[in-house]
Amino acid sequence: MTSPPVGERRGIFTPELLDRCISCGFCLPACPTYGLTGEETSSPRGRINLMRAIETGQLAVDDPTVVEESSFCLGCRACEPVCPAGVQYGALLEEWRDELWRPERRPWRLRALLWAVDARARVRLMGVARRHAKGAGEGAEPASLMLGCFERALYPRVSRSARELDPSLAAPPAQGCCGALHAHNGELERGNALARELGEALPGTIVTTSGGCSAHLASVLGPERVKELSQWLAGRGSTVDEPATGARPRIGFQDSCHARNGLGVGKEPRELIATVGEYVELPSAAACCGAAGTYAILRPEDSARVLDRHLDEIADADLDVLAVANPGCYRQLQQGIKRRRLRTKVLHLAELLADADRIVSHRSA
Amino acid sequence: MSPLLRAARAPGSGLARRLEEIVGSAHVREDAGALLTFSTDATPLERGDPDCVVFPATTEEVAEVLTVANERRIPVVPRGSGTNLSGGTVPHHGGIVLVLTRMNALKEVSSDDLVAVCEPGVRTIELAQAAAAERMLFPPDPGSQTTATLGGNVAECSGGLRALKYGITRDYVLGVEAVLATGEVVRTGGRLVKDVAGYDLSRLLCGSEGTLAVMTELTLRLLPAPEASGTGMAYFPDLADAARAVSRVLASGVLPVTLEFLDQVCIGTVEDYARIGLDTAAGALLIFGQDGDQRSIDADLARMAGACEAEGATQVRIAGSPAEASEVLEARRAALPSLSRLEPLTLLEDATVPRSRIAEMVEYIQEVARRHELKIGTFGHAGDGNLHPTVVLDPADAGAVRRAHVAFAEIFARAIDLGGTITGEHGVGMVKLKYMERQHGPEYLALLRRIKAAFDPNGILNPGKLGS
Repeated sequence: MTSPPVGERRGIFTPELLDRCISCGFCLPACPTYGLTGEETSSPRGRINLMRAIETGQLAVDDPTVVEESSFCLGCRACEPVCPAGVQYGALLEEWRDELWRPERRPWRLRALLWAVDARARVRLMGVARRHAKGAGEGAEPASLMLGCFERALYPRVSRSARELDPSLAAPPAQGCCGALHAHNGELERGNALARELGEALPGTIVTTSGGCSAHLASVLGPERVKELSQWLAGRGSTVDEPATGARPRIGFQDSCHARNGLGVGKEPRELIATVGEYVELPSAAACCGAAGTYAILRPEDSARVLDRHLDEIADADLDVLAVANPGCYRQLQQGIKRRRLRTKVLHLAELLADADRIVSHRSA
Repeated sequence: MSPLLRAARAPGSGLARRLEEIVGSAHVREDAGALLTFSTDATPLERGDPDCVVFPATTEEVAEVLTVANERRIPVVPRGSGTNLSGGTVPHHGGIVLVLTRMNALKEVSSDDLVAVCEPGVRTIELAQAAAAERMLFPPDPGSQTTATLGGNVAECSGGLRALKYGITRDYVLGVEAVLATGEVVRTGGRLVKDVAGYDLSRLLCGSEGTLAVMTELTLRLLPAPEASGTGMAYFPDLADAARAVSRVLASGVLPVTLEFLDQVCIGTVEDYARIGLDTAAGALLIFGQDGDQRSIDADLARMAGACEAEGATQVRIAGSPAEASEVLEARRAALPSLSRLEPLTLLEDATVPRSRIAEMVEYIQEVARRHELKIGTFGHAGDGNLHPTVVLDPADAGAVRRAHVAFAEIFARAIDLGGTITGEHGVGMVKLKYMERQHGPEYLALLRRIKAAFDPNGILNPGKLGS
């Protein structure tokens, strides 16, 4: 049976979510890990069959293949837009990890990360000594800029650039983490609670510079409340800096998986980039770069294998700039490009647009 | 990989160890989780438990695996991407699932000979795109073309949306390299259009559903790509009206490249998925298309639009751009999986009738649905009489599942009575084996068994299906 008889379920998964898949296999070519192994077991359809097996008790919850596949999955949700049946794979994965990644089974690196972002004070501490954006908004309708947790420490210029682009955004430093890390790593309840806390702390529309955060916040607070930066800018018809004179820079883009697959954001960043340079669509622009939240930290080797194809394409396209829309992608691509010694500069979309007047092509003829 | 998984993946049985010697340890799996994911394909309700899964990379490896399996009388089920809809790749008798997706080299695309040579694991869309890049066309385009492999397409003799004008997979298979169950490698046909030296074994292997041999290389025919194509859509109050329009179109002297229809149920679910602005209030949608040079496309589309209007179409429009046309066709391809938005279980069949009888068949399906109180969505390749009546139901409703099986038995019987077949393109597999005798008679089935025995004396290849 593709679906277990009612009444014999363990209750790990919401039945309506798990029953949706009809195993047509349309998801296989979209899945980066299926691309790596070519094995059904590491495809979305295969993983849903594993979920069904633990739901009915056909396999143990801690079966080694089940455990391995729950963590091998990037959680990029590339399988969702190609699914004609409308399976919400991301939601299923959250429920799966919620059951599987109990605190005692959690890797120590993950425990440390979750601890760091679990309290507003600690998140705020990460931003101390870094010049991220601060200040009250100037707009008539309240809108707030989410500063993020790791982003405010690692890439404080991103929030400053976002506020340069739209000074109407308020940026109170007393805001915590959105909870996406928790939700994607086996703490669904806590992840949802953190999102609700943030929703209370930030007035009006919440604008984020991180695709992963925006999709999680939208799933908890509703899509009307939350806008990913490019959505926000495109919706307001904001103008960006006059581009520099001289050779137009060649600019590629790495989609944020959750912005694209969760919120349907894809057109907006590309149109914005085309206003400041020559936009180059990389063949894998829409595919996961391997950062995938905590994935690059928990599974560095697989993460690097996923990244390789992207680096090849960036090198072939001889880009001046690769724009990103998520701090995880930022770090992943910056490190990959450094390792390969490519000339391409990685910038967040906000930085690119705010500094457009200073970016020119350095392409050798 | 975790040490725990490495331990789970390590072969425990002598069989897996022997197979590892052939294909390498990374390419054999017998952990419970992996076996589970290879126990099904895209067919609902069908499941079998394999003993191990093997991923060979070369013809020689396939031959060695088959030799071992034949010596030990172990069933072998060849598999590509597992998009089969008739249970054809479900290992009902256990044994080895032989996955051919690692053999995915597209060896040649020749515009001089108009052929492509490839391994069986190449996906259909990859060949279609490679051919298009050289201004050629590989016409077979089954609904699952983005996932399905050519090996699977040939083994099932897949159809698609262009069959009316261009034929089906068998019309494009020129040559096959295949490994027999006993391990010998044979080559049939080749690069030639004319070649009558011997029985046409390529055609015999095409549609043999993995029961005669394992195909390891395919030589496929290509066509010069048409200059352009055009697509139109017509809405009707009822599917039977659309079916009558199909007859009128075909009688008007046009041989369209596309003639697809969807009933109201399917229009609703497809629109829910694709959101391209279909009229969900209409009773049926007919998608018609033509390719060739622009002048004859325009003339044919106008003639087809006229035929639709004459049969009472409420609305007819011609797609303004290739992008709009491909949007509509892609949405049509998603008709089956989209239906699962209604209920978790979708039971699909592909009864096919001569195209002159299509309106009769459509009305009969509607009557069956009413009589058995079932929700049936019907879509299909109207131009070639290939219908896809699909029952959507809740698997927990055992009564409805039973009624659905009775309904299909009636639909098959009527299809045969109308001069049709129990399967136009999905294959017999496991699901329709029991209707074979009614369609073909006992002498035919006895001959199938003798052919099967000649290829596979010990009956190890996909046992329990065709020829068993």
